[in-house]
Amino acid sequence: MTQTQTPPGAVTFDSSEPSATRRVVTSTAFMIAIVVTVLILLFGVLSPNGVFLSAGNFRNLALDSAQLILLAVGMTFLVGAGELDLSIGANVILSSVVAAKVITFVGGTPEEILAGDYSNAATAILLGFLAAVVTGVLFGIVNAALVNMLRVSSFIVTLAMMSAGSGIAYIVTGGINVSSLPREMQKGFGSADLFGIIPIPAVIAVVIGLVAWFAMTKLRFGVHTLGMGSSLRAAERAGINIRRQRVKLFVIMGGIAGLVGFIDISRFLTTNIQGHQGDALAAIAAVVIGGTSLFGGRASILGSMIAAIIPAILINGLVIMRVGSFYQLVVTGVILLIAVGIDQRRRAQSK
Amino acid sequence: MAEAPIIELTNIVKSFGPVSVLKGVNLRAYPGKVTALVGDNGAGKSTLIKGLAGVQPYDSGEVRFAGEAVHLHSPREASRLGIEVVYQDLALCDNLDIVQNMFLGREELGFGTFDEGLMEREAAETLRQLSVRTVSSVRQKVSSLSGGQRQTVAIARSVLKKAKVVVLDEPTAALGVAQTEQVLELVGRLAEQGVAVILISHNLADVFAVADYISVLYLGQMVASVKAEDTNRDDIVGYITGSKTYNGVQA
Ligand SMILES: Nc1ncnc2c1ncn2[C@@H]1O[C@H](COP(=O)(O)OP(=O)(O)OP(=O)(O)O)[C@@H](O)[C@H]1O
Ligand SMILES: [Mg+2]
Repeated sequence: MTQTQTPPGAVTFDSSEPSATRRVVTSTAFMIAIVVTVLILLFGVLSPNGVFLSAGNFRNLALDSAQLILLAVGMTFLVGAGELDLSIGANVILSSVVAAKVITFVGGTPEEILAGDYSNAATAILLGFLAAVVTGVLFGIVNAALVNMLRVSSFIVTLAMMSAGSGIAYIVTGGINVSSLPREMQKGFGSADLFGIIPIPAVIAVVIGLVAWFAMTKLRFGVHTLGMGSSLRAAERAGINIRRQRVKLFVIMGGIAGLVGFIDISRFLTTNIQGHQGDALAAIAAVVIGGTSLFGGRASILGSMIAAIIPAILINGLVIMRVGSFYQLVVTGVILLIAVGIDQRRRAQSK
Repeated sequence: MAEAPIIELTNIVKSFGPVSVLKGVNLRAYPGKVTALVGDNGAGKSTLIKGLAGVQPYDSGEVRFAGEAVHLHSPREASRLGIEVVYQDLALCDNLDIVQNMFLGREELGFGTFDEGLMEREAAETLRQLSVRTVSSVRQKVSSLSGGQRQTVAIARSVLKKAKVVVLDEPTAALGVAQTEQVLELVGRLAEQGVAVILISHNLADVFAVADYISVLYLGQMVASVKAEDTNRDDIVGYITGSKTYNGVQA
């Protein structure tokens, strides 16, 4: 094709597309990876005898961040689609409670269970796992159905579901945590290691993260998700069934929350109905720090995964340095503000 | 009439609650011809074409596509027939790039994942056919484009899949002189390729520049459907404002 003469004022497109290298280097995921590396080196230098950089400590970091990585991955799809899920903490609790109830019901006689010796451990744990994931998925379906039916924002719906979900968990347990779960689930899963050093929950988090990254960048699912977050109307007119897409997104988030609930009881052998209040906000913070726009339309799974390690690094590092771990919350808040500031500037620039 | 209409709307009725917006409207569009749809603000033009696009189905009336009665209840059904609409408000996804916008909802897949190369080539080829010069930048985000460029992307999206009918709702309303000319040229080129174009516009100069037929909607009724060469600007203004009635044979 020879170059045609373009009339003055004609619609032309310049080629201002940055190179692939430039795109990687300026990506939020890359910048946040540098921040994480700097934090690790900083604590490495500051910690006594450099214990922060020991293999054992890296194992702790991986184990401690696995749950937040998983939640952040699910949240990335939702935020990318312009939705939110504030109820994931309640979902984690409810899923873990249902799983723990199933495990204690199937596992053995009340005496055996009190002693922590389950005659039926393998079946009980497997059923408990299924119960956790099914509960999580159902929780997600209810979220999506309410958003679709009531035509209310997911912010409001999941705020209500956060309250309702943890309320149900309290009712089911009578406010008493289900404890003395079978040690097999800790030894074989919750605190187990691959090759003797990589925690299984961290392996699961990374595998699910990579699958999510693939779905986000290479499959229709991802671009439809971002299209929805960019312009609901344009997505609808392009023939995307946004209600069904919304159900899928909340089902993924719910299933992940159920899995996290199961990982939680596998690590600690007890439910934690008083905990997980900060899970939703921690996940949203990681998602935004990782480069996903809080307003939808742009998302980075890898960024979310890397950013989700930050709280664990801060807590762990501050504890090693004998500084109160509560500073972690302050530092995470500051990083979040910086990330939101960067997001705003990008949005202003691209206008 | 030499050729049969590809779109034939008969007695279309549409109300929003108590408000009756379309009161038995007829409209035809022919392959390779530009049919202009004009009428004052609120006459029902956008409502008429939203039914054709399947986003807001009609209450009653008959829709014939290439002679066959069809029901249009979703955007997918319309686009399967080859009916594409470029809306007044454009509605593109700002955060996505040109290729992603052009293929949104109908991505090309190879082994289940995107065939990025194929999509980029098709997007560039479509833009080139519309005489838009671009090769290396189909990966630009839509948010960085000017009004005219956005309009072009929206039109390119509509013709990407060999559309048979393209409806443009006020495509030049927000454009400057040069870009308006460019879009009108594009409209003419679509018709040359055999597409039936329905053009909604308030600008009668634009209408007379490109239209083969002109249909006038007045308060939800089609008050005139005429060949552009058989009428003039004053008559059309009269039909639009209701100060004149058409007594000829409907074209
Ligand atoms: N969803 C809706 N609910 C209620 N009324 C509506 C709705 N959509 C359109 N209308 C009404 O229908 C009438 C026709 O609107 P429409 O948008 O079709 O007009 P139009 O001819 O496209 O006008 P314009 O030239 O301003 O774009 C208007 O009075 C409008 O208020
Ligand atoms: Mg209109």
